[in-house]
Amino acid sequence: MDDSADQDGAFPDESPPGDPLTEPQDAPRRRMLLLGLGAAAGSAIVSIRPALAQSAASVLHCQIPIPDPARADRHVAPDGSLVAPGTDGAFPGAGRAFTGEEVKAALRQGRMLPGTGYEQNRAYLNYIRRLQSGTSGFTCYASLQMPR
Amino acid sequence: MVQSARCWYRDGGDALIRREIDGLTLLYHRPSGITHIADSPVPEILDALTRDPQPLEAIITRLAHVFDLPDGSDTRGLEQHLEGLVALGLVRVTV
Repeated sequence: MDDSADQDGAFPDESPPGDPLTEPQDAPRRRMLLLGLGAAAGSAIVSIRPALAQSAASVLHCQIPIPDPARADRHVAPDGSLVAPGTDGAFPGAGRAFTGEEVKAALRQGRMLPGTGYEQNRAYLNYIRRLQSGTSGFTCYASLQMPR
Repeated sequence: MVQSARCWYRDGGDALIRREIDGLTLLYHRPSGITHIADSPVPEILDALTRDPQPLEAIITRLAHVFDLPDGSDTRGLEQHLEGLVALGLVRVTV
């Protein structure tokens, strides 16, 4: 199971737990996990963005796939929405991810995304503008929006 | 209900580089270039995610398989953490 390769070992790789009730309650090294609620939930993670997210290196390296790999078979309509393949006026995915630098140049300086035509470029940029949290590429796009 | 129908998953491969330091976990998210300092239960939640989308109940079950969860633990606390991690780009959710 290839998914096991990047697990860190805390979870058995191919074992959705059968019946938790049969787990020995006094198993060694079990510890309490507090999932927390409310304000506590926000305090478990701190992000370091200012220096990194605004640096040229960061913008160069982050990537925005078009479309999101989870919906790779969809086409991009002129307004940036994802539609069924074959929809009139829609473009197939780019087949590659664009870098933050390429997207920045297209959004701010009016350059074309590499390998795209005029209408295709506009559809792709509309897709990027519509990226939402949880979609691949969103964090990269959000980094581009940060004031320098 | 739409909320409970959502499924959560993580990026595969080396999207997240992770180092344990003094009881905290440093996470470097390669796609965004952002570094995060995480405390429990964030690393544990990330461990419980797979590349295949899972509903909240399945993630809770995986956590309960390894950890003791306090009485009264339900999916709300976990969902709040997951939503925070989605906002940071560390976790993905089906829509």
